Order: sequence, then structure tokens, then C-alpha cells
Amino acid sequence: MSKLEELKLELKNLGQEYAKIKTLRESERKAFGEQVNRRKQELLARIKALEEEASSAKVSPIDITAPFAENAKPFTEATGTKHPLTVELDHVAEIYRQMGFNVIEARQLDDEFHMFDSLNFPAGHPARDGYDTFRTTEGFIPPAHTSTMQYRALTRFRDHLEKYGQIAVVVPGRVFRNEDVDATHEHTFYQCEGVFVSKTATLGQLLATWKNFFETYYGQTLNIKTQPGFFPFTEPSLEFQIEKPASLGGKGDGWLEMGGCGMIHPNVLKTAGIDPEVYKGFAWGGGIDRLVMLKYGINDVRYFESGKLEFLKEF
Amino acid sequence: MLISLNELKQLVNIKISDEELFKLIGSRLVEIEGVEDLTPKYKKIYVVKVTSAEPIEGTHLHLCKIDAGKTLNTEVDPEHDGFIQVVCGAPNVKKGMLAAWIAPGAIVPSTYGTAEPFEISARPLRGFTSFGMLAAADELALGEDHEGIISLDPETAKPGDLLADVLDLNDKIIEVENKSLTHRPDCFGIFGFAREVAGILGQSFRAPGLPQADAWLKDEDIYIESPEICPCYTYAIINLKNPLAKQPYFDRHVAFLAKSGMHSISNIVDLTNEYMLLTGQPLHAFDYDKFLAVGNTSEPKIGVRLARADEKLVLLDGKEISLVPTDIVICSNDKPVALAGAMGGESTKIDESTKRVLLESATFSLYNLRKTQMAHGIFSEAITRFTKGQPAVNCERVLLAVAQEIANVSEDGKVESFGRKYTTPLKKEVVTLTVKDINDLLGSDYSKELIAATLENTGFKVEIEDSTLTVSAPLWRTDIHIKEDIIEEVGRLLGFDNLPLEYPMRPFVCPEVDSMLLVKTRFREILSDQLGANEVLTYSFVSKALQEKVNESPEDSYQIANSISPELECFRQSLVPSLLDKIRENKKASFSDFTLYELNQITKKSLGLSDEKVPELQTHLGLTAFGDFYKVKRILSEISKQFGVSLQLKPIEESSYFEPFHSAAVVANGRQIGIIGEIKSTVLKRFKLEETISAIELDISGETFEKHTSINRDKRSGIKLSKFPSVSRDITLRVNETVPYVDVETRIQGTFKEIKNTICVLKPTSIYQKPMSKTKNLSFHLDITNEEKTLTSEEISGIIEKITNNLKTLGAEVV
Repeated sequence: MSKLEELKLELKNLGQEYAKIKTLRESERKAFGEQVNRRKQELLARIKALEEEASSAKVSPIDITAPFAENAKPFTEATGTKHPLTVELDHVAEIYRQMGFNVIEARQLDDEFHMFDSLNFPAGHPARDGYDTFRTTEGFIPPAHTSTMQYRALTRFRDHLEKYGQIAVVVPGRVFRNEDVDATHEHTFYQCEGVFVSKTATLGQLLATWKNFFETYYGQTLNIKTQPGFFPFTEPSLEFQIEKPASLGGKGDGWLEMGGCGMIHPNVLKTAGIDPEVYKGFAWGGGIDRLVMLKYGINDVRYFESGKLEFLKEF
Repeated sequence: MLISLNELKQLVNIKISDEELFKLIGSRLVEIEGVEDLTPKYKKIYVVKVTSAEPIEGTHLHLCKIDAGKTLNTEVDPEHDGFIQVVCGAPNVKKGMLAAWIAPGAIVPSTYGTAEPFEISARPLRGFTSFGMLAAADELALGEDHEGIISLDPETAKPGDLLADVLDLNDKIIEVENKSLTHRPDCFGIFGFAREVAGILGQSFRAPGLPQADAWLKDEDIYIESPEICPCYTYAIINLKNPLAKQPYFDRHVAFLAKSGMHSISNIVDLTNEYMLLTGQPLHAFDYDKFLAVGNTSEPKIGVRLARADEKLVLLDGKEISLVPTDIVICSNDKPVALAGAMGGESTKIDESTKRVLLESATFSLYNLRKTQMAHGIFSEAITRFTKGQPAVNCERVLLAVAQEIANVSEDGKVESFGRKYTTPLKKEVVTLTVKDINDLLGSDYSKELIAATLENTGFKVEIEDSTLTVSAPLWRTDIHIKEDIIEEVGRLLGFDNLPLEYPMRPFVCPEVDSMLLVKTRFREILSDQLGANEVLTYSFVSKALQEKVNESPEDSYQIANSISPELECFRQSLVPSLLDKIRENKKASFSDFTLYELNQITKKSLGLSDEKVPELQTHLGLTAFGDFYKVKRILSEISKQFGVSLQLKPIEESSYFEPFHSAAVVANGRQIGIIGEIKSTVLKRFKLEETISAIELDISGETFEKHTSINRDKRSGIKLSKFPSVSRDITLRVNETVPYVDVETRIQGTFKEIKNTICVLKPTSIYQKPMSKTKNLSFHLDITNEEKTLTSEEISGIIEKITNNLKTLGAEVV
């Protein structure tokens, strides 16, 4: 006998029980009536609850592994996504900001003066060929590196030398090179430039500063090493490498090339109206795309400007 | 550039391991792109003597017997009279010659390390077993020549020798990145490279001696048009009694060329190339008799001048080029015979009949040669060196050495005469600086003695007076001009990686961030995080075809003169076209109802130039969505609300790709900053899109948005919360179809401004117009709250009546 049947039987018996009231004395009848009635109400409530449960138990089970119910339409996904490159640019800028660097944005169309002249490239010098530069028919230049912004960074914050004793600026931006596109080469990519000037700037400070950025970025201490390089706008010029961080599977053996750097050439300071006899500076610059590719294990740089949602929705 | 480690080791005393050496070179001289160890490549390849070579009838093959020394002979092929049987297809195989033999079990060097290494075995050929093969230069990966097998010099090789020992192939080849030596022409020769390696190792260096001239002819027979194009020109005339144009043997010299990425051409040319690889100084050899004939002269009349209009020249490779006015040409009696620094001419080419050689050693303007390189697409080893700015100091000495070597090639050969002309005197750069200058820039603590010794190892002269150093650069260091150049040398040779790391002091100042960066970040939060849109990045350059699809005029775009392809020819004028271009592909990938947006820079000529005389740029928001005008209007409202910016919409009558009567201009502070609305269906058709697509193109530069970023946001109009309950009412109004919605809403809101302490939250619930009807019904849901009391139903009715009265002038009636 189920619980429900038991209760129903008890309710039925309760009716017979109530019939006994006639055999009682007048004075006892009230209390007895109330007692039986209370019991009756209790039973009715419990029977009702059990009956409701029993009826709801008849709901058929659903397939919890299906993405949506049978006969229903698929959900349209409206999950918003930000581009991984712009997110990383913001992230990089924020680390530098916290290190005390002002952040300015690079222009996407510039001129010969900012791309070459202000950076101590002699006119007609073959070093100007090393950058695979695009040119418009008017001679304007979609910049081939964010160093194009050095002159502006130096002149815009020149008054900081008086006020704070130093210029500290980073410049994230989009740059362009006339080269064939493949899985590791894009004609359009992103860089971040750094510029620091003070009376006491040294090459040791340059290496420490950039190292510090990468240590913050990767959340661990890192070994660094350099290679001599050549850029007309820095002297000495170096290529900068960091130890492959643990988060990228590094085990203290591999190295990652992160970009070029050096002490700002006195001519660059002079052109920007800063006395190189008094002030010294350092500058550095590296790619952002590669940081993102390493971070997410992206194997083809062409995804970035593809506009493909199946790629963008991964982020 | 390829550098042989064995050559380096001959010049510098290297006591550290090869790996350590490569690391040091990498960190203190130049980026090493790779190192190839040749040793495993030439295992089991031997010198053999061909003892017989009989033609196999009906084929081009020879059946040969070779002698590889007793041990190998019996080990490999015990059956052929103590010699090894090999079938050879080369036409030049002949009895008695010394050849290179790839023994069974060896890998053919040209296939070594490739996906399909070819292992030689004993195999039957035309009924004969061939034990191994006799090799040509290309099979040995020592050149491109496949015309015949290589022939070795019996003076330096004997049967059974390992080929690697004879040709110095137990070597490692260092490939260096040329770009990082752009300013170091002196390092483009092994001597110069070795000097740096010695300097890194803390050793002094002396280059192998080169001869000095006893007597020079006067310079009258050399004409140089202007000093800039040619600082120094030297020549020698060599009389060969027995011209020998082909190298008789493949020897160490030829192998050296091969290891350096060049190949043998003729004994004379090979000598010039070998010396170029050693010293960095390119040379050119002319057939002197042809040179005189072309110039129709009996005396040498050598000219160096710029090319003239319409001049043509046939180069050594047989191609005729039209000279450009920046080309420098070498002339015989004013007739061009060579493209200076780049390539010689056909008319004075050295060949097997050459009896007299005119040898040239000179320097030319790197600026002109750079243009020559670009104009004619010549990327030879010589021009690569010249465009770095070869110093004039080497011209004479290298000329003398090579002239003598050429004379030695033939019996009784003789250097007959020399000539030289300097248009620019050699100048020694002297830089004065202090020890403090050096340590202050590097952040180091080097002593003056260490600094002086370091510089002197690589050829600098240093005079020390107290703490001042007077540094004279050697004549080959054309890159040294200022203090920083010397400081770089010290830092580099002693190792930048040894510098102490120290952080700069930082002032307690809040850094500035360009407001445009903050504005874009805020847009991303609103569009991606709140509205579910997808951010994309697309190229800044677009095709004319794309611009024409959206009725933009390509003439207003800055055109990329050297674009990669027609797809990337114009700097874009707006972002929406790039996004429209991405919709179809994503639809095909079965995405639907997505919203794409991009925040990026645009420009066009009509925006003019900035104060800096560079094109005025704008940062735009471009956005596309599936749906009608109201879909993007809602997005714009959200932007306006989130930024706290007031944006008005004004009707537009014309637009390139927005449908005029289904679009509106976006106006902020009286200035039009963009357009929102539906894309013209004619435009959509060109993108093969059928559904209604709406878009936003908004200029977000300027002050409209920059004042409202996360740092600096406006107050919200805000709803004050009342402790008294609100009362809801629904109201429907019938108005003429021409009455704008906004007028009705403004009237209702206006009514509440007249009633003290009462707030109304108004939501439109439907806009309904019956087909063919001239009126429309606007329904609203009103939530009315008083801040001080609970409203009675009489008061509510009063409010509704007020609204009704206020709307009467619009012809609206309550339904």
C-alpha cells in the first residue's frame, strides 16, 4: 500500500471514528469533534500535496545534452568580442602607464620628415631601403615603424624635461611594410615604441626598463640578451631578446627576439630641440602581433585582419 | 653573407669552443642567421684516380675503373682487378684524371639535410654494377655546374684522400644578417670580420700583408667627372703570355668561393672575387685589348662619369639596359663599357683569348649605386658591398695584390703599369671624449686602460691625457664620426650584456594617455561587452573597385604608389566599405545576425593637411548590422547614453552608400560627425547581400567623445527613486502620419515638467499604421511617480487630461 492509499484509508476510517461522537457525553463532544477535524484537515493537506507531486512526476525527461529543445529554433549567439590585438595594445599601454609612461597614439599616414629625416637617416641613404616603405603618389608614407612618432613624442613632452626632469612616452600604433604576406609576414601590423630622455639616462637603464616591462607582462623574472644592431636613429643600437617565459613553455633555454633599441642619436634629440650635450635618451620598439600570437598559439598572422568571425569569436 | 669558420681560425687565435664563439659573435658583432656544419655532408667522399674509361656502346655512359687506394678498392669492389667499377655519364671523364667519388653508403651532398636525402649504393646500370658515383660540382653542393665531373689537382690530392681534407670542407659556414652591418663596409670581407672577432676576444689583430706600389703612373689617363661619384679609382694593366680562361682544377680556391656562395667563372674573375671576399674590396677585370678597341684608342683613356640621356649598355649577362642619369659608367675614351660597381659590359668581357687585362679597383658613391641597384635590379656581391660605402683605403693595396696574382697565373705574365686617382683625400676621423662620457652613456664603470686596449685591438689609436681620450679611427672605419660611435664600439666589444641593469628614477606624476585611446577603449566596452558586437580590424588600404562599389571617388584617396596589389591601392576614406566586404564571407561560414565594427584611422585628400603638412586623419567608428535604420539607431542611442553625449539626427538627402530617406546625419554640437542608416540596396547588391543592412560611420575624433571617457564622464539625467508607489497607465494616441514621433513624445514629457515633483518614465509600446490609412496610432506605457505622496486616481486622471490637452495642437486624440 502506498503512502497515499494509507492516508486515504485513514481518512475513510476517520469518518467512522467521528460516528463515535454520539456515544460521548455532551461535555466531551466538542473537544473530540475538534480533534477529529484537525486530523482530517492534516490528512487532506498531505493527500493534496502527495497527489500534486504524483501528477508533476509525470513530466517527461529532457535531453540535457542537446543545445536547444526539440522543435525549438537554435539560439542566435550575440556574444560580443573585442579584437585580440586591440585588447593587447590596451594591456601593453596600461603596463607602461603604470610604469610612469605617457601614452600617445601613432599616425597611420605620415611624411618623409618623420619617417626618415627626423630620425637621422641621411637623404638618399641606402638605410632608407631597409624598411620596405610604402609611399603615396604625393610622397606621404604609411609609417614602417612607430619610431616615426619619436619626433612628436620628444617635442610634445619637451616641457616635461623642465617640469619633471624626464620625458617618458610610449606610442602604440599600426605600421606598414611592403612585403609579401604569408603565415608569419603581414604588410599591416602593430608596434609599440618607447622613448625616455633625462640627464642621466644610460644603456643599462634602457635594458632594465624593457626587461621590467616583459617581466610585468609575463609575470616572472626573465633573463635578457642583446645583439648589436644598426638603426640610424640610435647609437649604440641593439636587438633585444628575452628568455622564453614559462607561460609559453619556456624551460630556460629558448630566446625570443622582441625588437630593436638603443641610445637616441644626438642628431635626433637636436632635431627635436633637445640639447644632446645636456640630455641623453633611449628608445625601443617591438611588435605586438607576435606577442598575441605567442600568447594564444596563433600560427598564422593573416587571421588578424581577416575579419573572420570564427577566429574573432575565439577571444 | 657567408663566412668560413676555417678562414677565421687562420686569422685569429680562437681558443674557445665554436658554440661559444658563435654566441659571442651574435652578442657583440652581428646577428648570426644560421651555422651550417659541412663535415657530416662530405663523409665517405674520396679522391680517386680514373684508371680506365671505356664508352658503353649505344649510350653516353662510360664504364670506368677507379683507384681509391688499396684499402678502399678491395673493401668496396673485390672483383675488378683491384679497382672499383663505376659507370659515369659525364662527358669529361677520362683516364688519368683525379675525380671526386661518392662511395656506396654516402649521401649525395646536394640532397643532404633535405626531405629526401639520396643515399648512394652499388647498383646495376646497363648490365654493369656501378659502385658509387663520380660527382659534378652541383652534386657536391659546391656550385651549379653539372656539365662534367670535377677534376682535382694532382699536386694537392692523391687517391684515397678524403675530399673534405683536400678542399677544406671540414668547415662551418656562418651566415650573418647583412642588415645589421649596413654601416660596417669593413666587415664585408673576412679580414675585417676577423679583426672584429679578435677585438671581441680581447686580442690585437694584424691583417695579412698586402703589397705596396713602388711606382705609380700619373693620373692623367683617368678622367673622373666629379669627386662625389668616385672618390678613388685605381687600375693595373697585366700582360698574360698564356691566357688560361678556365680553372684547370677544382681546388681550395674554388671551394672557398663555393663556401662563400659564389661560383667559379674563370681564373681571372675568380681571383678578383676571392680577394673581394677576403678584403671587402670589389674589383673588375676588363679585356684590355677590347677596352682599347671599343674606345678606338691606343692609350688607356679611362673615364668615370654619369650616364647620359638615351645611352644603352649591354651587360655581361647579355642583357641590354637603358641607362638612367644617376648610373655611373666606366668609359673607354668616353664610350661606356661597364656599369660602375654593378656589372661589367659585354664588349670588354674576359674570355679564353684575353691576353691583356685591365684590372679596376675603385670606390663609387653609394647613393648613386643604390639607385642603380633599384633601377636595374642588380643584387651582386659587389654592389652589396659598394652600397655600404667601401672605404677608399683598400683600393690600391688590393689592386696590387690581385694584379700580381693574375700575372702569376700565366708563365711570364707581368704587371705592366698602374694608375690611380684620388678625387677625395683619405681622412682620418679623430674623436675626443672622456672616460666619463663613455661610462655615463653605457651605465658602466670601465677604466681608461681597458677602454684604450679594447679600441686599439680593432685598429683605433688612442692617446690618453688624464681622463680624456683622443681616438683616431682607422681609415677603413668610415662610420666613425661622433662620441657615441666610439662609445658604441667600447660597449659592444666589451659586451652590452655585461652592463649593470639599473632602473631610471621616476617622478610621482600621473602619466597622460591620449584621449583617443581611452575613447576607443570605452567604445569597445559599450559595443562588445554590452551590445554584443564583434570588433574587427581590416586593412587601411583598399581597392579602387571597393571604393567604386560604394560610390566613393578613388581620386579623393591617397594612392599607394608602390602597392603590393590592386587590392591595396587606396588609403581608405571610411570604414563601412571594408566591413561590408567582410559580411558575405561570414554569412557563408553560417554566422547570422552579427554586428561588425572597427575603430580605426581614415583620411582623404579633401580633409586637407594638418599644421605639420601631413594629411589630416580622423578616427572613425564603422559598424554594420543586420536590420533596418532603427537597429543602428538603438546602438547609437546606447553610445550617446553611455558617453553622456547629446547626438542629434538630421535627415539627409544624399549620400554615397547610405539610403537617403532611410538614414540620418549624426550631429554633435552643431557639427555633422557621421551618418547612420540603411545601406542602399544597389550597393548591397554589389556585395551580393540580399537582406537589409544598416551601418554607422562616425568620426569619433575631436572633442565630442574625448570629454566623456572613463576618466571624465558626465552626470546622468538619472531617475530619482521615490518611496511612494508609481502608477502605470497605457495611452494610445491617433495622429496624422506626418507628425514626427519625437513631437508627441516631447509633448508628453513636457507635460510632466509642468507638474511639481512628478516624474514619468515613458516607454513606447507600439507604432501602428493601418495600410492605406493617413493616421497612425502611437501607444505608450507611462510609469508615473510623485516624490512626496501616493497619487490618487483623480490626480492621475488629471494628468492624463493635461497630456491630452497639450497634444491637441498636434491634432492628436486619445483612442
